[in-house]
Amino acid sequence: MITAQELTKRYGDRTVVTDLSFTVRPGTVTGFLGPNGAGKSTTMRMILGLDAPTRGHATVGGRSYAAHPAPLTEVGALLEARSVHPGRTAYHHLRALAHTHGIPRTRVDHVLGVTGLTEVAHRRVKGFSLGMGQRLGIAAALLGDPATVILDEPVNGLDPEGVLWIRTLLKSLAAEGRTVLVSSHLMSEMALTADHLVIIGRGRLLADTTVTDFVRHCGAGTVKVVTPDAADLVRHLSAPGVTVTTDAPGSLTVRGTDAEHIGRTAAAHGIPLFELTPNTASLEEAFMDLTHDAVEYTATLEGAAA
Amino acid sequence: MTTAVQPYRVTPARVLRSEWHKLWTLRSTWINLIATGLLTLGMGVGISAAYDGTGEGGLDTVVFVLLGTQFATINLAVLGILATAGEYSTGQIRATMTAVPRRLPVLWSKAAVLTAVAFALCLCTNLLTFPLAQAFLSDTDQSAALGDPGVLRGLAGNAAALTLLAVMALGLGAVARSVPIATGVYIGLVMILPEVLRMLPYAVVDDAIQYFPAQALQSATAAQSDSGAASPAAALLALALWATASLTAAAATLRHRDV
Repeated sequence: MITAQELTKRYGDRTVVTDLSFTVRPGTVTGFLGPNGAGKSTTMRMILGLDAPTRGHATVGGRSYAAHPAPLTEVGALLEARSVHPGRTAYHHLRALAHTHGIPRTRVDHVLGVTGLTEVAHRRVKGFSLGMGQRLGIAAALLGDPATVILDEPVNGLDPEGVLWIRTLLKSLAAEGRTVLVSSHLMSEMALTADHLVIIGRGRLLADTTVTDFVRHCGAGTVKVVTPDAADLVRHLSAPGVTVTTDAPGSLTVRGTDAEHIGRTAAAHGIPLFELTPNTASLEEAFMDLTHDAVEYTATLEGAAA
Repeated sequence: MTTAVQPYRVTPARVLRSEWHKLWTLRSTWINLIATGLLTLGMGVGISAAYDGTGEGGLDTVVFVLLGTQFATINLAVLGILATAGEYSTGQIRATMTAVPRRLPVLWSKAAVLTAVAFALCLCTNLLTFPLAQAFLSDTDQSAALGDPGVLRGLAGNAAALTLLAVMALGLGAVARSVPIATGVYIGLVMILPEVLRMLPYAVVDDAIQYFPAQALQSATAAQSDSGAASPAAALLALALWATASLTAAAATLRHRDV
């Protein structure tokens, strides 16, 4: 469990995080969303005690991070910036961290195995690809078998296989009852992995909600249907909360129900469907609408022309 | 084994173990230490072999034999600076401080590890260099034996002084958080500042310069004290104060600044 209370961070006269309060609960994956420069990394650094808040405080498991006798067993963190000496091997990097807590060599070997780094464990980190570097960061995060896992942009630079691996890992960590906080600037990625969302822009809280609520509230989750029997289908779909709009003859946008229900309904009544597409792009649009005013650098046509 | 498995937790001894592990798992450490030892030994033997018995009469015999430790004043300082400032340039510091968020045990451990390694290396190198160099000096004015007054004290004093200089550099590295800046400040303080200050026409400045790092190192090394120089004990005390001041500044920086 992570609790942030009125966290504020100022660098000189620039306020990066303002009065940010939220709670991250165990057993779920919480997505920490915001455009670049929203203050996600700074917030995570304050939770880990690397940066001191100007005001407010953050606790993990009821205490400030530094107050835990074995911090690595409390929180495992992957920060966005690389946190490894490139001249050391992956194995020795983990061993050095393990020594601080009395974590045995077998655990180091275990996390190397879990992250698929066993074969390159004795290579120096400077030769690692971005993906291998991310995996080493995750191995370090899992070293203490932590109750809380904090990952800053973990899918950055990963190939599709790596992205899938991260998604599965995050879900299994949450399923084991751990608290999982993962930051991203991609709504679509979070929609696939997270249960809960904390959305910030320019260091302020914009939304603290579940993915399901966000999708419903923002009117995303529309489904595009193309069928020759549009009128027939609309009749069978009509129910409280379901709205159907016709974009073109035979092309419908259905709101308030999901693709599975529409497909089954059509099948039950023998209505042929040419297309049945859940509209996830609108989820990204909803996120962009929400954060539009809070984007730090907005590209403008004038700016591009200059 | 009857001892119960200790639960995971951070202890000072474990942080020390971690820093020890970190030091030895970098190739640069090995290169640095081997180069330091060989330069002291090689210079000492080389200069002695080439010495024709005239012209260096003013120089103390231990200072003469250990002229190669000039390299050690830079090498070991760089080793100390890399241990602290190096972690900032690589990003390693974030991993280190996440594992030990109380921060200060890391600084003490780094200083302790450096002290042990630098002192052991310098003492062994000096004890080896002196007799080897003396083999070439038997008929000269630099001839001396290990048992002569002040010789062993000079060899050990040199090792202690070099170690304290390295620890001072380690502290500078933690304050500056940049390898080039810390190295520049160190060289400025040890080599340039005293020469500049010497230009000032005040006797009190000349006295104070005797307690600057490089001058104190010289006094701690000499078997026979110069009349104008600090005594070996006073020189080592001065170096200990320089190192303490540097570590104190490092501790304050580490505690109060964001990583």
